[in-house]
Amino acid sequence: MMLRAFIPLIAATCATAQVDFNRDVRPILTVHCTACHGGVKEAGGISFVFREKALAIGDSGNPTIVPGNPEASELIARITSTDPNEVMPQPDHGPPLPAEDIETLRRWIAQGAEWSEHWAFVKPAAHPVPTVKQTEWPKNDIDRFILAALEAANLEPTTVAEPALLLRRLSLDLIGLPPTLDELDAFEAAHRDDPEGAYAAAVERLLASPHYGERWASNWLDLARYADTEGLGLDRPRPAWPFRDWVIRAFDEDLAFDEFTIRQLAGDLLPEPTVNDLIATNFHRQSQANAEGGTDDEEFRVTAVMDRVATTWETWQGLTMGCVQCHSHPYDPIQHEEYYTSIAFFNNTRDADLNGNFPLIPVPKDPAKSADFSRWIRERAGLLEAIHQTHESLRAQSDWQPAAALTATSAQVELEVAPEAAEFRTVGTVPSRADFNLTFQAPEGLTSLTALRVAVIPQDPQTAIHTPEWGAVLSQIRLARGDEDIEIAAVIPDEPEPFLDPANSLRDNSQGWGIYSKIDRPRFCVIILREPHALAADTRLTLRLRHSHTAGGTFPLVTKRARITLAGEPHWTGLTADPQRTAQIARVAEIDRALSRDASVRIPVMEEQPPHLRRPTHLFIRGNWLEKDETLHQPGIPAVFGSLPEAAGNDRLAFARWLVSTDNPLTARVAVNRLWEQLFGLGLVETLEDFGSSGTKPSHPELLDHLALRFRDEHQWSQKAILREIVTSAAYRQSATATPAARQADPQNSLVSRGPRNRLSAEAIRDNGLVVSGLLAPAIGGPPVFPPMPPGGWTPFKSGEKWDTPAAGEPGRYRRALYTYTKRSNPYPGFATFDAPARDLCAKRRILSNTPLQSLDTLNSPAFAEFAQGLARRMKYDLPGDLAAKIAAGHRAATSRAPSADRLARLLELHEDLEARYTAEPELRQNLAGTADGAAFTVLASVLLNLDEAITK
Amino acid sequence: MNPFQAEALNQLTRRHFLRHCASGMGSLYLASLGRALGYSGPAVTPDPAAPLMPFAPPIHPKVKRVIYLHMLGAPSTLDLFDYKPELVKYDGKDCPAEFLEGQRFAFIQGTPKLLGPQFPFERHGRCGAYVSDQLPHLAKHVDDLCFVRTMVTDQFNHGPAELMIHTGHANLGHPSLGAWATWGLGTENQDLPGFIVLLSGGETPRAGKSVWGSGFLPSVYQGVQCRSAGDPVLNLRNPDGVPRDVRRSALDTLAEINRQTEAEFGDPETATRIAQYEMAFRMQLTAPEVMDISREPEAIRDLYGATPGRESFANNCLLARRLAENGTRFIQLFDYGWDSHGSNRQESINYGFKQKCLDIDKPVSALLTDLKQRGLLDDTLVIWSGEFGRTPMQENRNGTEGNFVGRDHNPNAFTLWMAGAGVKPGFSYGETDALGYHVAADPVHLRDFHATLLHLMGIQHEKHVFPFQGLNQKLTGVLPARVIEGFLA
Repeated sequence: MMLRAFIPLIAATCATAQVDFNRDVRPILTVHCTACHGGVKEAGGISFVFREKALAIGDSGNPTIVPGNPEASELIARITSTDPNEVMPQPDHGPPLPAEDIETLRRWIAQGAEWSEHWAFVKPAAHPVPTVKQTEWPKNDIDRFILAALEAANLEPTTVAEPALLLRRLSLDLIGLPPTLDELDAFEAAHRDDPEGAYAAAVERLLASPHYGERWASNWLDLARYADTEGLGLDRPRPAWPFRDWVIRAFDEDLAFDEFTIRQLAGDLLPEPTVNDLIATNFHRQSQANAEGGTDDEEFRVTAVMDRVATTWETWQGLTMGCVQCHSHPYDPIQHEEYYTSIAFFNNTRDADLNGNFPLIPVPKDPAKSADFSRWIRERAGLLEAIHQTHESLRAQSDWQPAAALTATSAQVELEVAPEAAEFRTVGTVPSRADFNLTFQAPEGLTSLTALRVAVIPQDPQTAIHTPEWGAVLSQIRLARGDEDIEIAAVIPDEPEPFLDPANSLRDNSQGWGIYSKIDRPRFCVIILREPHALAADTRLTLRLRHSHTAGGTFPLVTKRARITLAGEPHWTGLTADPQRTAQIARVAEIDRALSRDASVRIPVMEEQPPHLRRPTHLFIRGNWLEKDETLHQPGIPAVFGSLPEAAGNDRLAFARWLVSTDNPLTARVAVNRLWEQLFGLGLVETLEDFGSSGTKPSHPELLDHLALRFRDEHQWSQKAILREIVTSAAYRQSATATPAARQADPQNSLVSRGPRNRLSAEAIRDNGLVVSGLLAPAIGGPPVFPPMPPGGWTPFKSGEKWDTPAAGEPGRYRRALYTYTKRSNPYPGFATFDAPARDLCAKRRILSNTPLQSLDTLNSPAFAEFAQGLARRMKYDLPGDLAAKIAAGHRAATSRAPSADRLARLLELHEDLEARYTAEPELRQNLAGTADGAAFTVLASVLLNLDEAITK
Repeated sequence: MNPFQAEALNQLTRRHFLRHCASGMGSLYLASLGRALGYSGPAVTPDPAAPLMPFAPPIHPKVKRVIYLHMLGAPSTLDLFDYKPELVKYDGKDCPAEFLEGQRFAFIQGTPKLLGPQFPFERHGRCGAYVSDQLPHLAKHVDDLCFVRTMVTDQFNHGPAELMIHTGHANLGHPSLGAWATWGLGTENQDLPGFIVLLSGGETPRAGKSVWGSGFLPSVYQGVQCRSAGDPVLNLRNPDGVPRDVRRSALDTLAEINRQTEAEFGDPETATRIAQYEMAFRMQLTAPEVMDISREPEAIRDLYGATPGRESFANNCLLARRLAENGTRFIQLFDYGWDSHGSNRQESINYGFKQKCLDIDKPVSALLTDLKQRGLLDDTLVIWSGEFGRTPMQENRNGTEGNFVGRDHNPNAFTLWMAGAGVKPGFSYGETDALGYHVAADPVHLRDFHATLLHLMGIQHEKHVFPFQGLNQKLTGVLPARVIEGFLA
């Protein structure tokens, strides 16, 4: 069979050949047409994204495409027109179409203008493994796909890499660390006897290494935009390292990718979630938050939700959804409305850019406590829900009557009253502190008061439901009759676990029951009296509401509109003595004590809104969150993917399950493509971030499908299994050397005509230095660390945060790169220099650069200066033999290979010159080394660490 | 020059030659690649091996380099440039309700009082522009300045507004002005970074290093923070005990071995790496030289009020001139402490603001004088601004009036000025309303300003695109933006 990539040349030359829409036509439309006639602009009423629109009649009055009749098709008329006002593309938008493109379109229409879906939206299919001429080369089916393409291009694979470099590549690829000298010795010895067996054993050793998870977590954390701070504004610390450790563990334990997906996107919605399932949901709490004073929490909540949608689609589907926020997708068949059905999956979590990153869960520092914590957290939630249900049933059984003859006064704000509705409202702007005095009397027939209900209402309920107003906090609630206080027993909220504790309304502080920080619908609390209070017809009571809370220290949280209703049922005054409720409350307190007894760290998680507070999702007009349309959008997937199975429901969990179901055409492809890119330096789809029609086409479409199906079906989503399959291929094991001719024939190595050769990632640059210098502290997991920082590299805004690097010799100074404290507004300079993203947004692909600042980092940074000293010490003291043997071993530690004789001679010469120099000028070596020999070794070690071969795998 | 340096240089020159001659100047721009407008592909495709090589933009640039002076915290331009006699009359009176309707404030609550100009204003120069008595030196330069009185932003909090003015977006993740410029144009001096950032010391921008970040562009285009005290560039100094001659011999060995590697694997990245080590070595010499203001004559240092060895805005102004002279494409200065809410002495118009004016008046004036006397103002554009404006109302935090005089954030109108290449000197663009609160005529949204700035540098903003997240991303975003012809020279 032939590969698609090579067919167009043939097709274009053969007038009768069948035109293939995806292969031949779509690229022409995407390059020349869809920018104006696509999802963003349907200029002239024409779009080439959907067939039915392309066949429709445009503003010209003519059908754009008439299947079978090119000459009747407006498309052909316009692209062949010589009239500058008529011709498409218009002259200022681009040059006329090449003749062969016009011919292709003409033939395509003549053949019936068949449309087919872009390849990525069609489910992967099993393809027959191609037969190849050179049958002894392939080691598995991957090789047969690779070789078939090479043979079709008249190319040959190259030889197998030398053992040392093979182990180096394998080790850096699988665990992110270079092989040690002992590992090299053992491998080279075993390889002499049994190359195949030695290689297979090395693969198994590395897949089982405890450092495997760290390497693959680094990559995943780019997608998760993982950082240790919240992002905007003050960019305050936001602990999340238990999530980072969860990812490491998930890779180490080879958690199947479908489960890995479900837990991160919807672990909180699993039946009986464990603390680990909740930690996994921190994935989407990595969106930026803003605690700067004076910012609008709803604006940043919406921004976070949109970030989650974009990140999910990019990470799992390789599709760009960000653009569909404002209009339909410019190239891909995703409609503007469908963005909001996607938003709807994510629009109902409780987090709302609140200070402290609410909601959080306590995560035990000792993993052995996880099971206890899981149980406690679940039990606690169940108890709070049960208590809430008790309240709800009492509320439903009460006869609420409006307070009569309401008056409302305040020293700080003007209040107006609608007595018939027992409602008051503020007039004009409000300050952040305001005391309200509300007086009223009993409605007719109410002779005993047991409870009052304060229902806070948005000023404009119609708008607030989709664009909420600032909320209100009742910092203090007092009830009095004349000078006499009436005792309040409790303030009952309208949800199981509010952000602020209602009990504070009865204490003397600024907190209390409230709607924090935004109100989108009427909300209420019930104020319960200690004893039933007898009321006469003319008894006047005074309810004093004090407001002294603000949002973010700036926005007043003052009740702007509320109604007071009263009830007299004795069940309210009996509530606080209810033995079942009392026991439930006591148990919650007990659990809280248990949770705080063990050392824990609190991390943000996803948590769904209670059903009665679910937010409706509306479309933003042109993506502006302040401007919404009327239609309500239910959660759903874009129509091009079909729909979620009926039985699955339509929540985040159903969505996550669909992503990893056999109905989804993309998840497995995107995942294996990412693994392939990590190993080969170039994805089978080069644009990891875009599998849509504006991304690059797969270099080996059948191989991509083959790997996707192997990963999903044969290996049941095991990443270790699919990695094993890839690294044991002959394609992966090829030498990276290339003659100029071979390089010219396959410049990017997209045909895999040779082995991969790539610069180490930012993380691997550091980790490699740690291993080579002998300094690595191999501990796994735990709070972030602070490796040496170049002077001037740590300048956070107005923050007391210190960059406290442990002293030389302390293990905390020598941890792997992925444990480094990640502050979004002040990334670790060494990582930024080597192309690590700032983790502001989901980063799908790192484009590697090659700059002088990188050279300065590995030559001069405090971390690398120390690595040079470490390697120097190893050479001087630890590595055996004479000077030449020591230097050769140093070279091998840094590059995995023994130096050639002339290279060794050159290094010896350098050592000799340096030693002479430092002997002649002993004061020079102060702070560098104690002896001239040591100083010479240190400078030599720096050379070794900076060799091209040392920072390349 | 040793044989290896010659080889490395030769290599760079060869690449340079290829870029400029084989494909023609500017031919790497999208528009001339035969692609239709809007196609998803980057506007520029620099050689990753020499990503900062200069190349000519598609339209003739009037501005070769930019010096942007950002006053973090947002100065009250009502007290410096936008003189409002009406506001004098209303001083101390309640703000009319129609001004408060529908406004989102960061800190104002209740009904605030209007606050008149806090300092006397006078007309200056031939153009007769008003400047308050707080900037007496700068006032002598008004005939070189081009005021835009009607700048408008979308953001009224510092972090997002700083991002907005430097990246065109209020959220993190987008490239900054300097990144877009160096991606599109490269830089003239390969021994220095093309985009250099200088901070006065004290507070850093609230939005962090993202305001000079590269966003989704390759990281090589991010601004490089340089310092007037300590190491001018991170990691520029050799470790203790490694003098320059020792480093030279180490690099000679390194290069020799790397050339063997290049011969063995044939990987072009190796060749680039060899060149980058040499460039780093040269930068170690060049950067401290350029950054060493003690090399300036005393008279020049006095002109700026510069004192070698410490971090200050005055030092940075002098450095900006030296960097401009040495071919740096984009020079970004940040001064801090301009957030005059009246919440404390330092953040008040009656105290802290006056001190800030004193800090910048002489250095900014000296920069203009110095650039002009060297002819650099002919192809350099100097820009001065905050991230938004301030209200004509006195801030009354927590509903009460403070002890210090202050103003809240105002995104609706603020003054920015420019001087130098491409803009009308002694000119004032746009009018604010009687209170200086809103734009009355000729608004210049930041998007328009960004479009105009790129235009001055020879770049068409709607074509200067990089595909990311399914959009052809551009500095000016998705909403309409236009080049403001009104103040172009």
